Amino acid sequence: MSHPDRSGEKSEAGARILERIRSANVGRDAVPHPGDFGGWRAPDSPADVDPLTGFTTMFEATGGEVINAPDLASAGSWLEAFVEACKAESIAVGRGVPDEVVPTLERVDASGADLAVSSARAGIAETGSLVLDARDGRRTQLLAATHVVLLQVEDIHGSAREAFRDLSSDLPAAIGLHSGPSKSADIGQIMVKGVHGPGRLVAVVIGSAST
Amino acid sequence: MSHVNPGAYREAAARSLRDTPEVRGSVGSATRTFEASRTRAFAPIDGDRWRDWARDVKTHTLLNLDQYLEQAVERLEANGVHVHWAEKDVDALRVLDDIVERHGVRTAVKAKSMLSEELGVNEHLERLGVEPVETDLGEYIIQLLGEPPSHIVGPAIHKSLDECRALFHDHLGTPLDGTPERLAAAAREALRARFLGAELGISGGNFLAADTGTVALIENEGNIRLSTSIPNVHVAFVGIEKVVPTLEDVAGFLQITARSATGQPIGLFVSLIQGPRKADEVDGPEEVHVVLVDNGRTNALADEAAWEALRCVRCGACLNSCPVYRQTGGHAYGWTYSGPIGAILAPAMLGLERAMPLPHASSLCGACVDVCPVRIPIPDILLHWRERAVEAGLTPLGERAGSGMYASLAARPRAFEGAGAMLRHTPWRQTGRTLPVLGSWAQERDMPRPSAKSFRQLWKEGIE
Amino acid sequence: MIKASLFATCLGDNFFAEACADTVRLLRHFGVEVDFPEGQTCCGQPAFNAGHRGDAERMARHTETVFAESEYVVLPSGSCASMMRAHYPGLLSGEETPGDSARVWELCQFLVHVLGVESIGSGLEGRTVAYHHGCHALRELGIEHEPVTLLRSAGASVLDWEADRECCGFGGLFSAKMPEVSASMADRKLETLPDVDVVTSSDGGCLLQLSGRAERRGGSPPFRHVASLLWQGASP
Repeated sequence: MSHPDRSGEKSEAGARILERIRSANVGRDAVPHPGDFGGWRAPDSPADVDPLTGFTTMFEATGGEVINAPDLASAGSWLEAFVEACKAESIAVGRGVPDEVVPTLERVDASGADLAVSSARAGIAETGSLVLDARDGRRTQLLAATHVVLLQVEDIHGSAREAFRDLSSDLPAAIGLHSGPSKSADIGQIMVKGVHGPGRLVAVVIGSAST
Repeated sequence: MSHVNPGAYREAAARSLRDTPEVRGSVGSATRTFEASRTRAFAPIDGDRWRDWARDVKTHTLLNLDQYLEQAVERLEANGVHVHWAEKDVDALRVLDDIVERHGVRTAVKAKSMLSEELGVNEHLERLGVEPVETDLGEYIIQLLGEPPSHIVGPAIHKSLDECRALFHDHLGTPLDGTPERLAAAAREALRARFLGAELGISGGNFLAADTGTVALIENEGNIRLSTSIPNVHVAFVGIEKVVPTLEDVAGFLQITARSATGQPIGLFVSLIQGPRKADEVDGPEEVHVVLVDNGRTNALADEAAWEALRCVRCGACLNSCPVYRQTGGHAYGWTYSGPIGAILAPAMLGLERAMPLPHASSLCGACVDVCPVRIPIPDILLHWRERAVEAGLTPLGERAGSGMYASLAARPRAFEGAGAMLRHTPWRQTGRTLPVLGSWAQERDMPRPSAKSFRQLWKEGIE
Repeated sequence: MIKASLFATCLGDNFFAEACADTVRLLRHFGVEVDFPEGQTCCGQPAFNAGHRGDAERMARHTETVFAESEYVVLPSGSCASMMRAHYPGLLSGEETPGDSARVWELCQFLVHVLGVESIGSGLEGRTVAYHHGCHALRELGIEHEPVTLLRSAGASVLDWEADRECCGFGGLFSAKMPEVSASMADRKLETLPDVDVVTSSDGGCLLQLSGRAERRGGSPPFRHVASLLWQGASP
């Protein structure tokens, strides 16, 4: 991949910008970093719940659906029934999704699939988010109208900060946080689903929450 | 952005109110909805603590911006990203020239980015023979209309459902009475093909984490994830002030920005982008560029009062709370950034003369102070710019002279009392329109009636 | 006995003289000895807010001199009170010690927090009132419940008003520099006004803005300064 070597020019512009920043800040008092973000709740808010309950409440609030499956096998059965109910004829599958869970359907690229199944890297209870890794396949995460995501219950973090701290040590090219079906209110301020991303988002949480 | 013209604010506002009064209704309703959503979203959290934290992280970062930028660049380059520094808009746009040529780009899909508006990316792409396709539904609507965005978060809030119906009917063939779902489905289908066929995806950046070199983007539709995942090349334009120290800091900012903008705990889709597709990945762009843009931001940073405006996270909460913005929406301000944040940034980034009279497009009511997640002291900065405008001789002569005369009178109580007496004896309710400065009061309101006797007089006569 | 100086304000002196007189009556009714330093003129806020700092400084210096001996300064105006309280210290720093800003009070605040007034009287029984919260009173002085509580204590029904805390569009010179937008802001207030006997506020500028616009539009309920309403409430 050849392109003109502009690095010399680039770094000159960069050097000038950095110098302007430095001189702008001369004489200003230092302000330390205030420390970790704590997601502090209002004094009268209810006590914290376990991650699975927290995740479920937040995820469902945006129209996401949560299915609980005690193990992989039951997740597979559910998916089988779901495919039938949706009358899906083709499926896109994320790389991390175990074969035994995937129903027998024509596997296609997500751009032509009725249904896509992904494997989540993690979940976040605080924000009701699925953490999706590029390694699983971004097209699969985005292009089908219905998106099913498998999530291990023990991978659900309490807070976004914890989740990000965990991610920091092993980051792929891209991470996506999906917290519900795609929405827009740009047409006359009226909410519609599925404008670009999947209009239906189902999280299949595998394993039981610790009591 | 073409046609930068804050100077026409008063005329543009008056025209909007007179000729398109429905805009006031649409904008009013949308902003009040956003405002109510924000209030609901702040109820369960300790909002003051969140806002203090966000203010302090941003302030700390700006004071050490050079170090954090250097750290970010190091990480980005280590991740395989091409990093460019752009001092001015033309420098940022030039980055596209080479990419377009090398990759034979014909179509570029765009995620909503105020910075790309500011730089005039779409016009530049067109000059290069590339078709820019706005994919955010609101941006798509205004692109079809040929208008600039009217609000930071909701570009098309000034358009009603019926106007959208008519527009989609003309461009996509949907029925004139199409439901919003029908219209959205048509847009989805039309834009789907563009995502799949585009050689280039262009985005902005909400935050840039220095420790991991991550560009973070928030949205609800999924078009940003698509624009940055499907095409083979991704270019992100990121203002230098978007840096935050760590990815963990980003976790906090994503939440406070979402709650402040639309009242959501987080945007429905968040993209954390580190660089081009890795060896063990099946998709994603093979080439990623990040363009770090100054374009007047270092001017703002150097200003003793306005630098605090660089904490802005572009949530739009100040617009939503502003009773002045609500009367017209964003177009009247004549610049990419409107409302309170636009009014304080414009003088720093465009120069005070070019930005006038935006610092006066405010009654200093302070509603914005109640909602800004990073506690920018907007009224104080507006006042700072007003003072500088007076010092620079940018205030109308009649006003300066009038103010000076009034101050002289006010230092001499007898003269002041005399002026009051004159007030009571001139027929100014009829002639008030001719007064300098104050005459425009009479344009829209009846002149007030002076009290028959001044209070001074009543006091002298004795108050029972 | 508490001694307080009245700062009538430029608008008060010339457009709300009777309301200023009612302020005196109200304060005396609650046992305050009121004086009126006659050298007073204007607090300088419109000039200050429009960026004419030098002019504002002159007026601030003059005002501080006039009230130099006062134990309390009471104003029938939230915006002028906040100018003195919140902005004079910054404007006059570098001068000889300016008067302690903590002695400056807006009328309703003074009644509630300094005089401890809980009930005004019963003279507003059966009246319906809409209260406009001026921006400076609300956001710079933190006055929110005081005027409403006092009005209710006198028997008035203060009705819900969707836009009661929104800016009326006065903003000092803003009303003359951006008259169309300013009028549109006043329209928003008037469009949402409930059906009441009287509209009131502690700010003269706001009252002139709203009543002036209402008159132009044709027909409106009476606008009265809160000092006059409260005096009516207290009147035996």
